[in-house]
Amino acid sequence: MKHRSPPRFRLVTWLLVGLSVGLMASSAARAATPLIIEAALDRDVFEPVLEAFAAENPRIELDYRDRSTLTVDQRARDTRDPPDVVISSAMPWQMALSNEGVAQPLDAPEADQWPAWAKWRDEVFGFTFEPIVMAYRLELASHMPPPETHRDLLQLLTDYREWLDGRVVGYSPRDSGVGYTLYQQDARYTPRVWDLVAAMGAADVHLEKTTRKMLEGLSDGRYWLGYNLLGSYAMVWAQTHPDIIVQVPNDYSLVLMRMAFVHRDAPHPEAAKRFVAFLLSRRGQHILAGQTPLFSVRDDVVGPYTAQRLRDQVGDHLYPIPINASLLAFVDALRRQAFLRRWDRELHILTE
Amino acid sequence: MPAPVSLKRRLTLWLVIIVAGLGTLLLIEAWTSARKAADRAMDGQLEAASLTIAESLQWPDGTPTLEIPASALQILATRWQERVFYWLQADNGRIITRNADLPITQVMEQQARSGPVYRDAEFEGARIRLAGREVDSAGWDTQEPVQLWVGHTRHGRDVLAGELFEKSATRFVAMVMITAALVTIAMLTALSPLKALRRTLRARRADDISPIELGVPREMQELLDTLNRLFADQRGQRDMLLRFIADASHQLKTPLAGLQSTSELALAVEDPAEWRRALTAVQASAGRTSRLAGQMLSLTRLDHLGPTHERRPLALDRLLRDIVIEWAEREASQAHDLGLAIEASTPVWIDGEAWALAELLHNWIDNACRYTPPGSTITLKLAAIGDDVRLSIEDDGPGVPADAVSRLTRPFERAQRQDTEGSGLGLAIADSIAQRHGTRLRIETCQPRGLRLYIDLSRSASPPESAA
Repeated sequence: MKHRSPPRFRLVTWLLVGLSVGLMASSAARAATPLIIEAALDRDVFEPVLEAFAAENPRIELDYRDRSTLTVDQRARDTRDPPDVVISSAMPWQMALSNEGVAQPLDAPEADQWPAWAKWRDEVFGFTFEPIVMAYRLELASHMPPPETHRDLLQLLTDYREWLDGRVVGYSPRDSGVGYTLYQQDARYTPRVWDLVAAMGAADVHLEKTTRKMLEGLSDGRYWLGYNLLGSYAMVWAQTHPDIIVQVPNDYSLVLMRMAFVHRDAPHPEAAKRFVAFLLSRRGQHILAGQTPLFSVRDDVVGPYTAQRLRDQVGDHLYPIPINASLLAFVDALRRQAFLRRWDRELHILTE
Repeated sequence: MPAPVSLKRRLTLWLVIIVAGLGTLLLIEAWTSARKAADRAMDGQLEAASLTIAESLQWPDGTPTLEIPASALQILATRWQERVFYWLQADNGRIITRNADLPITQVMEQQARSGPVYRDAEFEGARIRLAGREVDSAGWDTQEPVQLWVGHTRHGRDVLAGELFEKSATRFVAMVMITAALVTIAMLTALSPLKALRRTLRARRADDISPIELGVPREMQELLDTLNRLFADQRGQRDMLLRFIADASHQLKTPLAGLQSTSELALAVEDPAEWRRALTAVQASAGRTSRLAGQMLSLTRLDHLGPTHERRPLALDRLLRDIVIEWAEREASQAHDLGLAIEASTPVWIDGEAWALAELLHNWIDNACRYTPPGSTITLKLAAIGDDVRLSIEDDGPGVPADAVSRLTRPFERAQRQDTEGSGLGLAIADSIAQRHGTRLRIETCQPRGLRLYIDLSRSASPPESAA
């Protein structure tokens, strides 16, 4: 004999099912999409951009992870748990990730309009324009003519070595991807940088991993002179630490462009694309130019920190590190080994 | 009758087939050469990068090492921003440096030893192009050669090939359109003489057989000449017909006029004997006139029967015998010595029309009886001449003057003999019959006197035994 539930009982059951489905659906709609950003970019510097994005995209929950460039690279290669967006200042490593197909193309009008020299394969985009600077303590100027060019620097290190002994700081090419890149690029332009390295070695240079550490040391008085600092951080620091002078070299100045891309296996690709497109948009670059020291790339943006302004102030000697396949040479293991061997040799060449 | 073929449609169809066929071949060729050109161009970049890297190879202590030049990698990337790959391996299998684990097989390595190699390959789902070479150099120590492989993705090549192909294809399509337009015009122009001819013919009256005066191209000249010859033949035939009618009516008028006068004269008298004489004359004249009318009918029948030959196997010797026997019993031949001589193996089979040959023989014998004096010998002969058989009639009468022989076969020609009652059509009819059998009537003068008429016919195979 079949068991038949009374019609009223069945109606109630279906109503409950329908209600719970509806509730679940609406809650799913209200639940935020997470967005995982692995970035080698200080959060406090980047905060205004993140806030602006969050304000415009309330449904996206930002999960911003501030890491070292090495960690960012490792995380990007994590196949089990890939991030959505990868941002790093280590340009050669970002380029290598793109070359290995880890990045996915960004199909957005902001990407199409982005200047060709600042992007690669429409996958990875250089969205900042940070000059590489020298920094020194104010009191240095009372003892010696402050350096304005690389030649000046070499001159100081040679002529005023006693004053500067143990008081010079620079990036460690071994421990800092950015530092390594900057030295490689310097060496590409002129072999005279090795003279500088030798002079620094003779002055018992301290090698740090980050610009921040260098700036802290300068402010503490441990260092008097710093070479190849990130101008973005240095200028902000100098605003609150008036005893630090930041000098964009007059002969030539490298420019570092932080690069961002959407991961090929991003778990939330739509949100990721929205974020990167925001970085490239007029609004995003405007925030960058006005509220961060990262320098906007777009020439239709007005603010204190724009590439155009920098060019106007400094002149034609800005040499952005080129975003193209030549960067891949810097990640070559053999080339790196050869470079570091030479670095070691040159560093001690004058003290042997 | 099947539906007529349209020249225009045929030309168009052929044009379309040729263009489609050739066009497809050309497009395939264009695509292949576009790809080859793109490959050549881009392979040049691979070569340049490869050489730049090779230049930077050093063997400081006999083992190879490399400080990879940054510009070489940008050369590899080209302006299409390809993904780039490089891979260097020492002779002993040790990897010197690489940025990807490229799919390089033993075979490829072997090939690279003899010279630069270019290969397509697949790597991590992407289509790439690889270039490999073996690099060797001079130095103070023995230096192991190095396998140097560079590669990049194929995107730029495909774009370049596509651009080149598009250019070719556009040019080709434009050319085809222009050609099609020109050929259509040419076709219409070329076919216009046909139209002109058609118009000219349509404009003629149905019975107009004057020559066509029209300028036509050389290829159509033959057609026009044939048409004009046809019209000329028709004109000739019409003239002949008119002449024949004129002659015939003249020939008929004469005896009819005689009939009329005889009757009138007879009616003028009351003498029954005169009437009897008159009636006898009328009877003879009527007989002659009716015979003349009969022969004229035969002749027209022969001329206008058309080309359908109804020749059948016929035993000529039997026909001859029957007719001679028939004539031997007739009164008309009683005064003559009629004979038959068959000098061939019987039966003599030919392909012929029985009624026509019978008519011919009747005409011959009738002529011979009329135009030879009583007592003459008339012999019909059937003789074998090789594969042919000669049917002939001979008499020893007065014959005909040599210059009149050729005119004998013309209608109403009586060789100046007005003294007999022949119609003058007999030999014309006989010649007509001879022509129907593919031969002509021949006339010879016999020695010392007399006339011989003969025709030569081909013997045919005996028919199956069912023939009667």
